[in-house]
Amino acid sequence: MSRPKHHFLIITLLFTAVISCLQGCKSKDSQAEAIRIRWAHDPETLDPMQQPNPAAFDANNLLALSLLQVDAPKHAYAPALAESLPSVQLVGDSLMRLNYRIRPAATWDDGRPVQARDVEFSLKLMFCPGLPNENIRNHYRFVQAVLADPKSPQHFTMVCQGQAPEYVHASGDFFVQSEAAIDPQGELRRYSLAELQRRAAAAPADSGLQAVAHRYLAMGTTAPGAWPGCGPYQLTQWKKDRYLRFRRKAKWWADQLQPVPFVLRAQPKQLDFAIIPDAATATLALRSGELDVYPHIPAREFARLRTSTAARAELRFYTALSHDVVTAGFNTRRPVLADALTRQALSRCFDAAALLRATQLGDGQRTVGIISPSDRINYNDSLPLIPFDLKAAAGLLRQAGWRRTTGPAGGWYRPGPRTTQQHLQLRVRYRTSEEIYATVALQFRAAAAELGIPVLLQPTEAGAFSQALQEGDFDVYVRMLKGNPFVFNFIPILHTLGVGAGNATGHSSPVADRLIEAIAKADSDSRRAQLLRRFQALMQQEAPLVPLFFLPTRVAAGRGLTGLHVNSLKPGYTAATIERATNTPLP
Amino acid sequence: MARLGSASHPWPHRAACGWLALVALAALLAGVLPLPYLPGVPDLAHVAQPPGTASGHWLGTDPQGRDVLSVLVFGARTAVLLTLPAAVLSALLGALAGGAAGFWGNKARLPVPYWLLAASGAWWALRLPMPGVALALAAGGLGVAALARLQQRAFPTWPVPINAVVMGTATTLDTIPRLILVVAVAAGAGLSSGALLGLLTLTAWPHPARLVRAQMLRTRELPFVEAAHAAGLPAFRVWFRHALPHASQPLRTAMPLSVAGLLGLESTLSFLGVGLSPEVASWGRLLGTVREEPTAWWLFFLPGICLTFTIISLIQLSRRPSVSA
Amino acid sequence: MSWLVLWRLARTGLAVWALASGVFLLSHHDLGVAARLAAPDAADLPLSGGAPTTAAQQQATILAIRQRLGAGLPLFYVSRPPAAHPRQWHWNGRRNQYHRWATALLHGNLGTSFRTGRAVTAQLGQALALTLPLTGTAAVLAVLAAIFLARRLAAGPWWQRPVRAALAALHALPLFLVALVLLLLLANPEALDWFPAYGFDQALEADSGFWTRVTTYALHLALPVTALVITALPELTLQLDAALRHELRTDYATTARAKGLAEKAVIRHHAFRNALLPTLTQVAELLPALVAGAVVVEVVFALPGMGSLLATAAAARDYPVLVGGVLLTGTARLLALLLADLLYFWADPRIRWHA
Repeated sequence: MSRPKHHFLIITLLFTAVISCLQGCKSKDSQAEAIRIRWAHDPETLDPMQQPNPAAFDANNLLALSLLQVDAPKHAYAPALAESLPSVQLVGDSLMRLNYRIRPAATWDDGRPVQARDVEFSLKLMFCPGLPNENIRNHYRFVQAVLADPKSPQHFTMVCQGQAPEYVHASGDFFVQSEAAIDPQGELRRYSLAELQRRAAAAPADSGLQAVAHRYLAMGTTAPGAWPGCGPYQLTQWKKDRYLRFRRKAKWWADQLQPVPFVLRAQPKQLDFAIIPDAATATLALRSGELDVYPHIPAREFARLRTSTAARAELRFYTALSHDVVTAGFNTRRPVLADALTRQALSRCFDAAALLRATQLGDGQRTVGIISPSDRINYNDSLPLIPFDLKAAAGLLRQAGWRRTTGPAGGWYRPGPRTTQQHLQLRVRYRTSEEIYATVALQFRAAAAELGIPVLLQPTEAGAFSQALQEGDFDVYVRMLKGNPFVFNFIPILHTLGVGAGNATGHSSPVADRLIEAIAKADSDSRRAQLLRRFQALMQQEAPLVPLFFLPTRVAAGRGLTGLHVNSLKPGYTAATIERATNTPLP
Repeated sequence: MARLGSASHPWPHRAACGWLALVALAALLAGVLPLPYLPGVPDLAHVAQPPGTASGHWLGTDPQGRDVLSVLVFGARTAVLLTLPAAVLSALLGALAGGAAGFWGNKARLPVPYWLLAASGAWWALRLPMPGVALALAAGGLGVAALARLQQRAFPTWPVPINAVVMGTATTLDTIPRLILVVAVAAGAGLSSGALLGLLTLTAWPHPARLVRAQMLRTRELPFVEAAHAAGLPAFRVWFRHALPHASQPLRTAMPLSVAGLLGLESTLSFLGVGLSPEVASWGRLLGTVREEPTAWWLFFLPGICLTFTIISLIQLSRRPSVSA
Repeated sequence: MSWLVLWRLARTGLAVWALASGVFLLSHHDLGVAARLAAPDAADLPLSGGAPTTAAQQQATILAIRQRLGAGLPLFYVSRPPAAHPRQWHWNGRRNQYHRWATALLHGNLGTSFRTGRAVTAQLGQALALTLPLTGTAAVLAVLAAIFLARRLAAGPWWQRPVRAALAALHALPLFLVALVLLLLLANPEALDWFPAYGFDQALEADSGFWTRVTTYALHLALPVTALVITALPELTLQLDAALRHELRTDYATTARAKGLAEKAVIRHHAFRNALLPTLTQVAELLPALVAGAVVVEVVFALPGMGSLLATAAAARDYPVLVGGVLLTGTARLLALLLADLLYFWADPRIRWHA
């Protein structure tokens, strides 16, 4: 029996193997043409109608195209599949016709031209039963019909219900899918768009529709690259939760265009997305050259890299102000929070400046309202920022009728309706996923404790959080509001119509409602800016929400890369325009 | 030889006791100690400060601006108030369940009237259809009891498979790895301290139950138990007063280990971000913050040392009786 | 003997089925949360304008998602309709979610994931393919190292005391601590940059040679495996060591020594086999853990294995994946029990005589 010797042998062998390949395996990826980008999560599904997370959004942007897409440097919608922005024609006082023309050069992978019927088909898919399209269909109910021009298959007219200006952009902002690939038998053609929209959930199953749904679902789960696209890239490898590899199509239709518009540029020959959930691990990978681009890098990692000389020699750092604002909201349905004075008092308990400094380390910006300070036209810069001032808060509370008592059951009390006593105590809900909400909540709790207001923190997991918000099971919430510079429609979050759905604060006042409606209908930019400034002032007065600060977008990337176009829009940079400067040696 | 070992090396044992006493003291006095900062109050002007800077945070701050010293002290309280009760409760539950399973096996018999009454109660509680059946069952139970009384006979009995039930439940619970089970429940519900205590207890009891059951199988054959039976004592009394204390002896050594395991589990949960809410200080969460700030050695070493020392001390404590035995 | 094994198997099989059914029924009892997670956050500003989402529309959306996830059917064979007739039970027949799930399961179909729409079996298979090499290597290395160390320790060399103390100290370290230390020490450009920091084989190119692939793979696995071995080793070694020392104090060992055998020979030929029994149970207990993956290590080293799959499925309410994982670990446990019985049979001939 010589087993111990065997062990020695195995261990020695392993050791030598490890040591010997340390150098060999650290040799960097030889493919200079690949750009490697970090994702925190797997995209999970590439179904263009779902996009459950930012990664799926990125991936779909590489594989598919919309009629209109956002031109990041210009901060505006630009035509992608469409030849130009649609021409608008108002009909009566409730209809709108949008005339589109698809670029004649645009083709699918199999060489077929992209046509009006593909656009109609994509809209019909949103209402096809049996598909995960419940969310997207809510956004496209306003499209009533797609009228194809019988003379030219690339030309069509979209008939929209309603005349809101944002419909012009929205009408082109969905991915166009190939009818020939998904529905070769033309099953969906048997129905008009309006028929599918009206179709009841309980309607008897239709074998044709089922076949389309089945085919569509199967397409998402088969080999990578099965999804038929007209975008510049093809998915060649998808190792679940590990990496995705996109290769530039050798011959892509937009290469013939002269000049190539920004939204149709596609520089890297290959894009590799590595999925690294842990931020610190991703930083290590970036430092060791296993990654080229690290978007959405956490503040602390970013600050640490920025101060390290070694990292500064290898990396470049980009920031821009995003449209995401960290916001606290009050449940105005609660009797203790029903009056604006109390809410104003509590909004002075948030130390936004210190929170911004402590969590974002110098980036980001405080704000007076939910319009980004980077939007110079609409941001109301004449309003003061809400100060962190506990004395003023106590004063406001007294104005609101609260009286502080001392003793073991001490706190703030005021007489309620009839003979009841209201006691000011709050439950703060926030999502467990991100540390920043916890920091805000802890700071608020400490400040409130100084005033003598007991605060209970309730970190809640994502699903339960949105349920609690919708059911009004909270006093104060801390969350992120995601905005954008194109749509100024506050009806879902602050209008009476939104109560019970998106309006978690339950805020509802006739003045605000009228103002919100006027903003949504405003026909000129200057008029809208005027209304928006008034709206910000009104919101600061009523204080259903306390927008604390806008978050920055941070990107760290290798020194040799150019063309990231870090900007304030989702996803914060443009993967398809990144170039590797040829003269810089690889790290 | 073993006794020699423990006698010539009393210092590890003493050190272990000393450390544990220190932790317990910190936990007890956390509220009254003159700490410059409280654990739930972030000092946003000083985030991620190393120890010894002038800001008055003697052991530095974490990336959220919380004072490390106070988190350590209050973390000791969390550790003591959470893991100790969880270990005690799971040991109790395990001892009762495992003891019963070992003592009676599948051969315990319960008088038929009790069976019928229990069934009728369950029927009623579940609101099964036809409430008449529940009434009939209850009436049947009382009838059997009355009949037996009239005829001056013992109640007829049916067997209760205690062993199968206890061991089956334990096996079922063991089938899912503990961490996954706790994560599944904790991620869904979001936990208060009480709920976490219950959850830890629920997942930890099978181990003591197995230990006690194995010991009970031996104990019930011992002469003193047989003597108690022969003396005509009721079975329950023999089990509870005589057999169970003896059979629970392995728990004495297993207990510190169980506390250590639960402490590790609680820290791991906090590290993974499920578990306690952020105003509750926890060593594990403090350790977890090192991922946000990998260069902050003080976030890693200080709670790491506390955690490791405590677990080592507990293991040391559990070792001694087994060495001298 | 075989009857005993069969009986235990049947019992554990039943327990596994009951557990999976329980998890299925409990989780599918409230599909609302899963549906809500799939629904968009209504409190975000809409990017694409459109009509405002009203409360009714929000309800309709969630209802539609529930329908798609399968909540259109009743959950179980019997159900109690709410409110209207509180004391009435309703027989649903075979058109219910549980029946569908069970029949599909008997045909080897675990359903499709809520989140990704992919087959659960495929997802579990992929995760297993990553997890098994990791945990398997770690387990084999840990067991071999434990046997090696324990035998040496039992012979009572001069270094036994410090090594035992070191093992006890290691035993006290939680896994996440070990993993973090390894990561921050050995895969950090600011400390020692020896190992890749994450993943299995991201850097692999299709055209790289066989040996490059193998070494890359080994290099990526080195740190996670080391972390697992370091945490598993002390318990195994200390247990085996204690058992060996116990056996060495018994009469037969004394007899063997009296015959003039060297201490090493006594350990190898006499004590070892007997001391192995409790360790065998420990090893068999390891098997379900092998399949279930190591959540902590997978989180720290960004390995998309079974542990992180199940943990994220639990957090995201991806019930089909969760139920599938429970079934899988349950089956592994079944096999582990069988294995433990067989190993006992092999290691201790007395059991053979008794049976």
